[in-house]
Formats: sequence, structure tokens, C-alpha cells
Amino acid sequence: MNAAIGYIAIAAVAVASALIGFYGLRVSRTTSDFYVASRTVRPWWNASAIGGEYLSAASFLGIAGLILLTGSSALWFPIGYTAGYLMLLLFVAAPLRRSGAYTIPDFTEARLDSLWARRVTSTLVIVIGWFYIVPQLQGAALTVRITTGLPAWVGSVAVAVIVAVIVAAGGMRSITFVQAFQFWLKLTALAIPVVAILLFVGDVQPALPPVAAFPTSAGPGDLEVYRTVSLMVALLLGTLGLPHVLVRFYTNPDGVAARRTTVIVLVLLSVFYLFPTAFGFLGRAFAPDLASSGDADALVLLLPDRLIPGPLGDVLTALVIAGAFAAFLSTSSGLVVSLAGVISQDLLGGSVRGFRIAAVLSSFVPLVVALATEPAGLAGSVGLVFAFTASTLCPVLLLGIWWRRLTARGAIAGMVTGAVLSGVAILGGGAVAASLPALRPLLEQPAAWTVPVAVLVTVLVSLGDRRGIPRGTDRFLARLHVPEAITRPGEG
Amino acid sequence: MTRGASDAGPPADDPAAPPARDSPPHPERVRVTAPRAGSGPAAARSAVHRAEGGPTSDIAGVYVRSLIRSQLRLGIVFALGFVIATALFVLAIAVVPQLDRTFVLGVPLSWLLLGAGVYPLAITVGALYVRAASRNEARYRALAEDE
Repeated sequence: MNAAIGYIAIAAVAVASALIGFYGLRVSRTTSDFYVASRTVRPWWNASAIGGEYLSAASFLGIAGLILLTGSSALWFPIGYTAGYLMLLLFVAAPLRRSGAYTIPDFTEARLDSLWARRVTSTLVIVIGWFYIVPQLQGAALTVRITTGLPAWVGSVAVAVIVAVIVAAGGMRSITFVQAFQFWLKLTALAIPVVAILLFVGDVQPALPPVAAFPTSAGPGDLEVYRTVSLMVALLLGTLGLPHVLVRFYTNPDGVAARRTTVIVLVLLSVFYLFPTAFGFLGRAFAPDLASSGDADALVLLLPDRLIPGPLGDVLTALVIAGAFAAFLSTSSGLVVSLAGVISQDLLGGSVRGFRIAAVLSSFVPLVVALATEPAGLAGSVGLVFAFTASTLCPVLLLGIWWRRLTARGAIAGMVTGAVLSGVAILGGGAVAASLPALRPLLEQPAAWTVPVAVLVTVLVSLGDRRGIPRGTDRFLARLHVPEAITRPGEG
Repeated sequence: MTRGASDAGPPADDPAAPPARDSPPHPERVRVTAPRAGSGPAAARSAVHRAEGGPTSDIAGVYVRSLIRSQLRLGIVFALGFVIATALFVLAIAVVPQLDRTFVLGVPLSWLLLGAGVYPLAITVGALYVRAASRNEARYRALAEDE
């Protein structure tokens, strides 16, 4: 592959992001009131912005790579990423918008009237955010290595530095249209190559005949039930607790608009995920060698050039590289913004200086982790973060919104239990599974048992809490569920 | 709050008014009393304020709790519906071996169905839920305004 294309595409996206970030700095200064702005954001813009922030390296590169690697079991990842928003719609969207909380720690503190519940939630949000950024940086490392031939670490460092600078400088905050633009860039960057390949590939002979490329043994009929169910639990419930998702909902004017936005997000994600899926299918037929070389996650980057040589192939390659970098940058900056918000508020006194320090900290801790660890498959790593989120923040959110008897002690006990169980399974599972192979699926996909245990602990400790439910619980629950027109009738 | 203030409410809530009119007329007798804080569309709001310390056994609190219950029931029904429909869909793909042998554009139909078939289901469930949840809220609104 022509390295110049890689340099040009990466530099263009980096410069564009920086420019938009600094231009956005001026916008966010002139926008006197975030609330005023929020009421003018239309559901379509808002939904695009949510999609832009949500679609990460795992979606852009990881899914196609995993389809190439493991077959149709990988199709459950995009299904889960999308259906997670259905769960968000059914149980969280409108109440959380009405709660008035910007972040999940804000929500738990207000709901449970407890600073300790807030601190535990903040810690979890920071851990989740860091481990969610790591695969983005590893995706950047892979992209730089494959497309430019530079050492892989350059990609991780570049993304971490760009994100830290943009966020610390104050850009990317509450700039809905930047994230919305990123969504459409990512969609275009996958859709146009897929369409072009389907149009021009007629005379290229597939490397494998269809029967060999799509064996029944890797097909939908050969379903590992426990793993699939556990993955679905992780993805469906993990989406509820992602730190960067909640703040986007705040730009909806009310709960009803939050619901409408979420349905549009469902539509946008459904359309988007058709294209990584198509890339995966094309890869199985035309580039099966990538699966054995360990670069399956680079499939999206390499396939256009392989199938369409010449200038058109170069243009398409530049497009997918730009889309990939947009994915790393938008997800990472969305996460760093929410992490820096939490860190600066809880640890550094909430000053602007504190926010800047926190932004740098939020980018560089995951950078160290990304450089120190061996990259695993992108989709799989992000799937584990979802399992951890589902076991820790999801029980508190769901019970906090729907169950009157939840107490701060119950919430803390549940979060700690979920964190310890899923954390041990994810980090230490390999060692245990080596001696007890029967437990391997339980440890590699822990959500199916860690989430119920965390919920059970939360419920039992809450019921046994002699201090009873927090004061103001009924008032808070009414605020979450009563439609806005009733709670604020013309402020009369 | 004066009677006049609560009368001024409905025009401001215009979007809220049509669903309230759609609900069936209530056959039971409506109690008419002197103006008080708990009447009119502000009923729920005042209940919200009162809930701070004291008991919420008053009628507005009952309405709120029943709204929460009906919304939770709705969410669970739609979630279960989605999960069961997806499971049946996948089962159907798995038990029809012809789908593995039918190729469209070089890809087995079973792969294409799993790759694209669940999304329309998720969107449909989501869209139906939004209507049902808004209906629950409209019903609550009608109750709270009639109180």
C-alpha cells in the first residue's frame, strides 16, 4: 500500500479535528447558555451526535475483523451494540433526561443522597472510560502500522496527544454538530467503499468458493448458547452505563424528545452496521489470508486497495483511513471529556485548570495501558468493557430509576461486587481457565452471571439496610417519571 | 395558588392538551371544591414538593406510583418481546438447513438474515414503545388534571 495515502488521510483528519476543536472553542464561548442551545438541537442532529460518539474502533474495524476471524458468531456484536440502545430507550432514556443529571455520579448522588455512592460510581466511570479508550488507541496503532509502515506506538501516541490537546483546550465540549458530522463521515467512509467494491469486483475471482468461505461450522446454526447469551447481556445492559452516552441525552429538551432521539439512534446504527458486516463477508471471500496473519482487524483498511487497484483504490483507502481515525478521535475525545469532568469535579475542585489536568490524565493513563499490553481483538476488548459496565453501573441505574427501596449501601455493595467479580473474571480469567478449562466460557464472557449476582446483592443489602430509603426518594422518582408539562406548568 | 393561575395553565401546555381530550370521559362524579394547592395541573408538582418528608398517601402520589408501575411493565413487556422474537428468529435460521445452502451474492442466506434481520425488529419494537409510553403519560396527565 502507498504510505503517502496513509500520511495524507491521517494528517487531514488530525488537522480537521484540531481546527474544529479550536473553532468550537470560540463557539462554546459565544454560546452564553448551554440550556438555551440544548433546546434548539433537533432529534436528528442529536441522534447523529450520539452515533458519532458511540461508533468506535470496535465498530469501525473490529466487527469486520471478527467476522473474518470467527464467522457468524461475530454478527452478534453489532446486534448487541444496537439493541443496547433499545434497552436504553425502554428503561433509561426519558427518566435519565428528566433527572437533570449530567453524569452517572451526579445521578447516583442525587438519587441516593450519598457522597460515598457518588465516589464509588465516579471511580467506576473512570476505570470504564480508561479501558474503553485503550482499544481506540490500539486501533490507531494498528492503522498507522498497516497504512504508513511507521512503528505502531506512533498511532497510539498521536491519538492520545491530539485528544488531550483538543479537550484540554476546551474544544469538543457540547459541540453536537462535530460529533454529528463524525457519524456521517464514518458511515460514508464505509458505505462508499462497499458500494464501489460491489460494483467493480465482478471480474475479481474470490480467493475461496462460497461454500469454503462461509462454512456451516462457522454459520448461524452453530451457536454457542452460553457465550452468545452472556455477550448479549453484556452489550444490551452495558450500553446503559457508558460514561459518554448520558451527557448527550441532556441536549434533548425533554423526556419525550429523548425517546424520539433514541429511536433515531436505533435507525442510524442499524444502517451503519450493515457496512462493517458487508466488509466482513467480503473479507471472508476475498481476503481469508488476513485471518491467519493476525491482522484481521485491518481488513477494512486493506480490502479496497486489494480489490480495486489504481487511483480509485487509493481514494477509497484514504477514505477508510480517515473514517477509522474519526472513530478513534471522536470516541476517545467523548470519553476524555466525560472522564475529565468526573475527575476534575471529584478530585480537583472543579476548576478549569483542574479540568485541563484531568483531560491530560484521562488520555495518558490509557496510553500507558495501550502501550504496555498486547492488543487483543478490538471487538472482543470493547465487549469486555461492556461486561464490566453491565455488572457495575447498570444495576444501580436500573434499580435507581425503577425501584423505590434502593439504598446507598445496597448500591455500593452491588457495584463493588459486580466490579470485583467481573474484574477478576476478565483480568485473571486466563490463568484460572488454564487449570479449569470447564470454566473458560464463564470467565471469558462473565456478564450472564456477574450481572444477576450484582443485582441480587444490591437488592438484598438495600432490603437489609436499617437506615431505610433516602429522604426525598418519592420526590426524585416522581421527577424521573412525570412528564415535563405536568411538573413545570408554565412555572406558574 | 389562585384558581386563575391554574386556569392559565392549559394554554401554555397546548401540546399536552390533545392527548388529554382523547382519553375516554370519566363516568364517576368529579368532586368540585374550593381552590387549593392540590388542584389543577399543578397537582403532581405540589405532590412532588410535599413528598420531601411526609407520607405521600395522597392521591397525586398514588397516580405517580401507578405511572411508574405501568411504565416499568411496558418496558419489561417490550424487552421480553424483543428478546423472545430474536431468539425465535435465530432458532428458525438454525433449524432450516436450506438457508445455509442458498447463496445470494455468494453469501449464505442464513448469514445475511442474521447479519441484517434483527435490526428492523429492534427499530419496530422501539417505535411501538415510544407510542405506548407516551400514551401512559397522557393517561397520567388526564388523571392528574382531573383530580
